[in-house]
Amino acid sequence: MTVPQMAKELKDKTAICGVGLTIGSFPDKTPLNLAVDAYQKALDDAGLKRGDVDGIIQLAYGSDYDRFLEAVGTDVRYANQGWTHGRFIAPMLQQAAMVVASGMAKAVAVVHGRKGRQFGQLADHEMWRQGLGPHGESPAYGAFSPALGVALAVQRYFHMYGGSNADLAPIAVAFRKHARLNPMAVRTDPMSTEDYLKSRWIVEPLRLFDCCQNNDGGACIIVTSAERARDLKSTPVYISGMQGVHAGPQFHNLTLPGLGVAQQKVYKYVPQKEDLYAYQMAGITQKDVDALITYDAFSPLVLFGLERFGFCGPGEAKDFIKNGRIELGGELPVNTSGGLLSEGHVVGWNLFIEAVNQLRHNAGARQVKDAEIIQYGSFLGESIIFRR
Amino acid sequence: MKPSTAMTQEGTGRYLPVIYPEELPFWEGCKKRQLWLQRCSACNHIRFPIGPACPECFDMNFSWEQLSGEGVIHNYVVYHKAWTPWLQAKVPYAVIQVELKEGPRLTTNLLDCPLDQIKIGERVVADYEDITDEITLIQFRRAQDAHK
Repeated sequence: MTVPQMAKELKDKTAICGVGLTIGSFPDKTPLNLAVDAYQKALDDAGLKRGDVDGIIQLAYGSDYDRFLEAVGTDVRYANQGWTHGRFIAPMLQQAAMVVASGMAKAVAVVHGRKGRQFGQLADHEMWRQGLGPHGESPAYGAFSPALGVALAVQRYFHMYGGSNADLAPIAVAFRKHARLNPMAVRTDPMSTEDYLKSRWIVEPLRLFDCCQNNDGGACIIVTSAERARDLKSTPVYISGMQGVHAGPQFHNLTLPGLGVAQQKVYKYVPQKEDLYAYQMAGITQKDVDALITYDAFSPLVLFGLERFGFCGPGEAKDFIKNGRIELGGELPVNTSGGLLSEGHVVGWNLFIEAVNQLRHNAGARQVKDAEIIQYGSFLGESIIFRR
Repeated sequence: MKPSTAMTQEGTGRYLPVIYPEELPFWEGCKKRQLWLQRCSACNHIRFPIGPACPECFDMNFSWEQLSGEGVIHNYVVYHKAWTPWLQAKVPYAVIQVELKEGPRLTTNLLDCPLDQIKIGERVVADYEDITDEITLIQFRRAQDAHK
C-alpha cells in the first residue's frame, strides 16, 4: 500500500488545540451539562471563543448535537453524530481532522457528555438487534454485557496460545500504578497481583479488575489547522498518521482476527503492511512510539492491541506485558493515565486527552520523559499517530 | 408463529429473543425440537446468523434445511454476575459457542454440566427449552450426558 499524495499533505497539517475533561460521579448533572462543561474547558484551554468553532461532532447517547448547539447558542457549518462505542472514537477524531483539511470547517469540536446511568439510552435495546448484539449479545441466553465479547475472545486466546486469567494481572496492576499518579483518576486504591487475583469473577475468565467501571464524564477535543494551532494558547499536538476501524466478519465484537469468536476463522493473526497504514502515513515504525494508548475497557483488549500493531507476535502479548515493560519507565509505557480500567470510562475520549497531556509535557508525575510520538492504536485496527 | 418484539417476559422478567420475520422458519423448527438454518442455493454454504444473502458467494437464493443438531464446544464463558433479578437464581451459568457439524457457530447455553467439566472440543447435541407458550430456545448438552 502506498501513501497517496493528498495523505502526505494531510500529515501534521491538523492539530489538537484544546481539550477538556471531567470524570467522576455527578448525580445532579445531565449529559448536556457535562458536555457543555467540557466544551467550556476545551475552549479555555485553546484560548478560543465559541464563535471560533464552526464544526461539531458527537456520538449518540449523550446530548444530541442539535440540543447541544442550542444550549451553547452557536450555529455551525459542519455537524455529525455517530454511534457511541469505543471503536468509534478514533473515526470521529479522524473526521474532525479531515473536515479541517478539506476546509469544510476551521475548528471542529468533538464533544461528549454521558452518565453511567441515564434516561432514554438506546444502548438498552441494541443487544436485541437482528443477529447478535454489538458485543455478541444474545439476551435470551443470559449472554450480555460488553464483558461477554471480551471473555469469549480471551478464552479462545488462552486456548490457542496457553495461559489463564492470572496472565492478565500485570495489565490491571500497571494501569492502577499509573492512575495513582493521575489526579483525574477515579480508581486509585493500591492494587497488588494478590489483590487482583482475589477480585471476584464477573464473566469467567474475567475478574472485576479486568473490567472498567461505568462512570459519568464529559470530554471535548478541538481540532484546527496546524498553522492556526501554533498561534493559540496551548502547545499543538499534531495528527501525523491514521487508519480506520477494520470491520467485517473477521473483526467480530471485542476480539482480534483469528481467534474464532462467533463465525471468525481460526488462525494466528500477524499484521501485514496494509494493516499498518498509519505508520506509513506518519513515516514512523513501532520503534518510534514513545507510549502506546489503547482501548482498555477490559484488560485483554491490551493484549489484542499490542498484537494488532505488531509490537509482539501472535500469542506473545501475555508475556510481553510482564516485568514492567508496559509501565512508566518500561520499554513501552501503555495507557499512562491509568486507562479506562483505572482513570475512568469516558468512552475513550480521555485516552486521546492523555496523549495530548503527554505530548504537551504536561502529565506531571506520570510524564513520559521527552515524549515526541504517541500512538493511539486499538484491537480493531483504528489508530491515530500524534506528534509533538 | 408470528414475529415478536417483546424483550422481557411479563411476570418473570426473563429476557426473550426478538423474533424477526425472516427468522420464522428457525423458530418454528425449535418449537418442533428441530434445528433449521438456511442453505445457499448457489454454493451450498450453511449460514448463521440468519440473513438475506450468502456471506460466502453473495447469492440471495436459499432453502431452509434441517441440520443434525450435533457439534462441539468451540468456546465457553461462565457468568458469575447476575445482571437481572431473573438470572440471580441461575448464576453461575455457562454461555457457549457451539460449532455445528455443518459449520456455523451458535451462541447458546450448556445444560446440566458441572461448570468445572466444560471443555473446548467436547461433543454436544441440541436440546430444546420451552420458555413461553410460543417460543422455544435451542440449547445444548454434552453428548455423553444425552446418552445416559
